[in-house]
Amino acid sequence: MIKVRTVFEKKGRAKYISHLDLNRFIMRVFKRSGLPIWYTEGFNPHPYIVFAMALSLGFESDCEIMDFNLTEGVSFGKIKKILNDILPEGLKILYVTTPEHKIKDIGKAEYSVECITENPEENEIFLTELQKFLELPEINVEKKTKKGIKLVDIKPLTELTNIINKSDNIVLNMRLPAGTQNNFNPMLFIDAFSAVSSVRFETGKISRTGILCADGEVFK
Amino acid sequence: MLREKIEKYLLDVQKPSRYIGGEMGSIIKNPDETDVSFAFCFPDTYDIGMSHLGMKILYSLTNSRENYRCERVFAPSEDFEKIMRENDIPLYSLENLQPVREFDFIGFTMQYELSYTNVLNMLDLAGVPVWQKERSENLSPIVVAGGPCVCNAEPLADFFDIMILGEGEEVNLELMDLYYKHKQKGSSRTEFLRDAVNIQGVYVPSFYNVEYNIDGTVRSITSDEGVPAVIHKRIISDFDKVYYPDNFVVPFTEIVHDRASVEVLRGCIRGCRFCQAGFLYRPFREKSGESIYSQAKALCENTGYDELSLASLSTSDHSDISDMLSNLIDYTEKNKINLSLPSLRIDNFSEELLEKVKKVRKSGLTFAPEAGTQRLRDVINKNVTEDEIMNTCRIAFEGGYSSVKLYFMMGLPTETDEDIVGIAELAQRIVDLFYSIPERPKGRGVQVSISTATFVPKPFTPFEFEPQDTREMIERKQKLLIDSVKTKKIKVSWHNSDVSLLEAVLARGDRRLSKVIYTAWKNGCKFDSWGEHFKFDVWMNAFKECGLEPEFYACRKREYNEIMPWEHLDYYVSKDFFIRENMKAREFKTTPNCREKCSGCGVTAMTRRACFD
Ligand code: SF4
Repeated sequence: MIKVRTVFEKKGRAKYISHLDLNRFIMRVFKRSGLPIWYTEGFNPHPYIVFAMALSLGFESDCEIMDFNLTEGVSFGKIKKILNDILPEGLKILYVTTPEHKIKDIGKAEYSVECITENPEENEIFLTELQKFLELPEINVEKKTKKGIKLVDIKPLTELTNIINKSDNIVLNMRLPAGTQNNFNPMLFIDAFSAVSSVRFETGKISRTGILCADGEVFK
Repeated sequence: MLREKIEKYLLDVQKPSRYIGGEMGSIIKNPDETDVSFAFCFPDTYDIGMSHLGMKILYSLTNSRENYRCERVFAPSEDFEKIMRENDIPLYSLENLQPVREFDFIGFTMQYELSYTNVLNMLDLAGVPVWQKERSENLSPIVVAGGPCVCNAEPLADFFDIMILGEGEEVNLELMDLYYKHKQKGSSRTEFLRDAVNIQGVYVPSFYNVEYNIDGTVRSITSDEGVPAVIHKRIISDFDKVYYPDNFVVPFTEIVHDRASVEVLRGCIRGCRFCQAGFLYRPFREKSGESIYSQAKALCENTGYDELSLASLSTSDHSDISDMLSNLIDYTEKNKINLSLPSLRIDNFSEELLEKVKKVRKSGLTFAPEAGTQRLRDVINKNVTEDEIMNTCRIAFEGGYSSVKLYFMMGLPTETDEDIVGIAELAQRIVDLFYSIPERPKGRGVQVSISTATFVPKPFTPFEFEPQDTREMIERKQKLLIDSVKTKKIKVSWHNSDVSLLEAVLARGDRRLSKVIYTAWKNGCKFDSWGEHFKFDVWMNAFKECGLEPEFYACRKREYNEIMPWEHLDYYVSKDFFIRENMKAREFKTTPNCREKCSGCGVTAMTRRACFD
């Protein structure tokens, strides 16, 4: 059995495919590919395919991780070509590799969120208010968990790594806790800010830009 | 740009991937590089429309012509329709996200009567005038209808430029070819329509004039000069060789039938007297076992589906059923594909095949006796005997099954209380059978579900003359059935009979109903086939407003010599045959199936050859 990790992008029309739908859809892609995919054993055998992290509906990404096993060796270049010939617009395998980290090593994820102010002249105000917001002692938001809704202070968890003011939009890059146990959606922060900001804005493109291990190393 | 506008709102609606296209297998052509475009509209939501086989066939077929382009269009759900209307997003196609009104053809497939209001709603969303006479003399867009409902399309006559009778594989392309010529010539709409009537199967309703008697029945249907008086349907004569797609569009989101499907035969040899499809698609034609096998294989390989179904009215009637199934089961098993089989007549299967079939059959046990007594089953010519039902149930119970589903109709011609009570008695005998079998599944009780639908008399059947039971009659029979059931092991359910009334009106209606459909739609009716959307009161008010009575269409007995609203449409089976069959039904006499003995239904006058060698 050969373990394979692929890094793929999800963009354009494909960003409207929900995680659940992607799971079902990818089975068909593999079925069609003819790749010697390894099936789980047991009562109801199915191809073993795992996505490291779910991506919210509407988000784009160029760092999604999909793992699967093959029963016999196929060159990475060939796997990439076979899958990309099948995948529809918006889904593309960027590279294929042997897993270095375990999925449970994932600790953080990076996002970039485009904020579009209704009136671009208010960009400066947006930025000043954002600075002030970041200086608050705590930022409490409601977060859905398996046990129901609970109040979480996201201030210590949110790292705003950089802010770019591009006249017709402002891009916020941030790093948030991620992993099998603890996942934070960048919209928690954005919505909290939007609730107190005097500037009206909408979000444009939202992307996941990186998946990292707990120690900050890029997940591979 | 339209795409940006759409994307702006997509995350606010349920299942957005239904509105953006780009699925695996979809065919996206450059509009500038094609000569004729066809927007294939299904008048229901994506989830339902994407399951429809006819659309898949014609989509791939049209796109197989390099210079033609076919794109898919579905009715948006309520949440998205609201957004579309508020933000001036016109109805658009899924491939190029192009407004439907820019297409050369806007084609609807009419599968059921209760989708008529959706057609008006979609035309309106597209920004195309719903009334045919209000469209300009510009050549495009030509609004076309096809599908089984077109056999009596009169209630829709005022909305369509063209209706296509019968099977579309050849005539659609012929129509597009002709259109292309007129497009190059710069013809007007009327010039093109005038020429189109020369293609067999093409019906242009606006070239026909209908007059009525004082009692409301049709007095005459006359065609304009130079237009054929009768329109004959189209059929594919070499069905084994007819185009079949080797790939489907594979949706991201779940749809009703999400699987590969191969059409194994068209038409039906049975001649059940209530069944419109059984007559509309005559004569019976089948694909060879090899074609079925290779088409199934190609489809599974190209789509990656892990489920395969066989499409037909009655798969058991395939002449090579044993080998055909046996080969398919071998292939699907080897490739980890589920083969979903319909209820099969298993009388002539070998032991070996039976074993194979048993292994793949996972679906429940269902029967459609349609009527509760042998007498009434003879009236409707439904060739199922109680022995057959009992035998199959016995085998199934011994094999571990413990639930059975039975389908019946209520309000059939000649029906008496005895027939209704007979439904409950049949179910009771199945319950008793279960407990008489020593090998029955232990620890579980038996469950027999009875599902009844109100009988809807349809055009082009021997029962086209028959009145439908009124609501009061049906309600009394439903109560009688409930009272006749003596155990909790039998469950009874039924369809809403108001829906059946409307279905009966639209199925056998005439042109005057266009106004009613329009009024109902204007007052908010759409998705009438969805229980939660069905507004019976609004429909009844629409009838009143237009001065028409639903009972006139649904509950009136029609004489054999009455001119039917569809009298000028020919589906090959003659009216004489329907009259003969109707008379036989009244005498409780059955008619043999086509393979046993030809009953001279009239089909050969058009096909000019015997249906079976
Ligand atoms: S012509 Fe005879 S065999 Fe052919 S469909 Fe009619 S009844 Fe059946």
